[in-house]
Parts: sequence; structure tokens; C-alpha cells
Amino acid sequence: MAQGEKQRSVLRINLDILNAVKDEGDAKPTHILYKANLSHERLVKYLDDLTAKGLIEVKQDGEARTYSITPKGVGFLIEMRHAEAFIQGFGLAI
Amino acid sequence: MPSGAVLAFLLNLLSAFVALLTSYYAYRTNRLVRNPVLGAISFGFTLLGIGLLVDAGTSLFTGHLVVESYADRVFVLLATFTYLTIQMVSYLVIAWGYARVAYRGEARGFVPAALVGSAAISLYGYTILSYFVALILIGFVVFQGFLLRSGEKSRFSGTVMLAFVLILVAHLVFLGSVLALGSSYAGGIFLVGIGVQFLGFISLLVFVVRSEVVGPR
Repeated sequence: MAQGEKQRSVLRINLDILNAVKDEGDAKPTHILYKANLSHERLVKYLDDLTAKGLIEVKQDGEARTYSITPKGVGFLIEMRHAEAFIQGFGLAI
Repeated sequence: MPSGAVLAFLLNLLSAFVALLTSYYAYRTNRLVRNPVLGAISFGFTLLGIGLLVDAGTSLFTGHLVVESYADRVFVLLATFTYLTIQMVSYLVIAWGYARVAYRGEARGFVPAALVGSAAISLYGYTILSYFVALILIGFVVFQGFLLRSGEKSRFSGTVMLAFVLILVAHLVFLGSVLALGSSYAGGIFLVGIGVQFLGFISLLVFVVRSEVVGPR
């Protein structure tokens, strides 16, 4: 388990992955892995989950696999940004 | 109808609107984030909004500000009792939510302990008791909010803290007005309390609007 992962909630990890994918455009798993600070095994699980929910999409080009955020994923990030601002107002964190 | 009662009606009505709006946003956020404090805030502010609507309606119906002139009217007695009880329970729910986070599920004894002695002997005694209990509960929320804020500082938490502090001050003023019953200035003090409470809810409204217009990361 990557350092710091234990303290993060599942929602926080998903947000970190989505933000990493959004920032990169077509993001390679290694970039997401680095930015989201996760082990490879756990990253694959989270990426599969986010893909199944339609928040990111996978593109396969030969051996290379990249991920990009979907419009639904962008909408979710905006919604979560408001939610995070609201929850922080009461001294809480995601 | 005295202008003080109309002002009290309007300020309570607007405060109720902000309380219910805060409740809705807490509910909406809780659907995404799943946090027990948000659940408590949502439920607590719903109760608070209903209580403020009851109080606004009572002010409008009677045209009076303070409890002493209500004594011979059963309806007003019931309305006042209902408002004070709802208000006390609403702050209890919010404080309980914070207690659950602060003490990690060890707050089971918090609810009965906070309600001990809240049996009403008279409306006057019940009013003093309910404002006193509300003061303690809001004080607890402010204290816990301050502790949590020190760990998770954000540009939004100051506005919420200000709102709770203003609501706390308002309840000190309410308590003062009840203790001053019989004097000519009790109604004036009560109206000041409603005004301070309203400013607290305006602060909450500013926070809710700011959290909605926050830009991209």
C-alpha cells in the first residue's frame, strides 16, 4: 500500500484519480499511479470501477492504454468541488 | 400590529428560509460524501427552519414579541412550547453530529444527558431552560467547529464559525430578554436577539452561495 493511502477515503482516492486523468488529458496508468499515489494493483481496481461507472473511458492503441475523463466525470468533479467546499465549511474533510 | 412584531416575523421567516436552504445543501452533499455530521446538520437545520416558521407565525398571529403576554392563550402557549422544543432538539441533533465525529461513536450518553431536567414546570421556566440548553449546545458546536477548523482550515469555515458564534450571541440575548421579563425593555432586547440571529443566518447564506459558485480546481 502506498504511503498515505491508508488515511484517504475511497471517495478521496477516486477524486485524486479523476483529477489526475483530467489534468493529463489522455493519461497513461503510470502517470495516474504517480499522481494518485497508489499501488498498481489498487489503481487497476479503482480504474476499472471508474470506467464501469462511466466517469472515465479507456483507449487501447496496440500495447498502449490511456484513460480520459468523460463528460459525466467532469460533471461529477464539479459536483464534488461544491460538496467539498460545503463540507469544509463545517470543518470536515472528504 | 406593532412594528416590532412585524419585524420579528420577517426576520424569523428569512432565517427559516436560510435554515431550510442549508438543510437542503447539507442533504445534497451528504448523498455524495456520506458523513454523519452532514446528516445531523441536515436534520437539525430542517427542525430549526420549522421551529423558526412556527415562531414567525406566532409573532404574526399575536402581534407580540415576548412570552409574558402569551400566558392566557392556549394556542400561543402551545406554539411557544413547540418552537422552544424544536429549537432545543435541532441544536441537540447538530451538537450530537459533531460529538459523534469528535468522540468517535462514544456520544450515546450525550442525548439523555443534555435533556436531563428539561421537563416544563411552567412556560417561563421552560423558556429559560430551553434557551440555556440551546446555549450550551451551540457553545459545544462552536467549540467542536473551532477544533475541527484548526485541523481542516478552509476559506469557507470562517463564515460558518461566524454564523454559529452570532447564533450563540443571539441566544445569550434571548436568555437576557426572558430574564428581563416584566421590564419595559424586554421586548426590545428580544428583538435585538432576533436581529443578531438573523445576521448569523445571513452569514450561513453567504457561505452556501460561496460554496456553490466555487470555481474549478
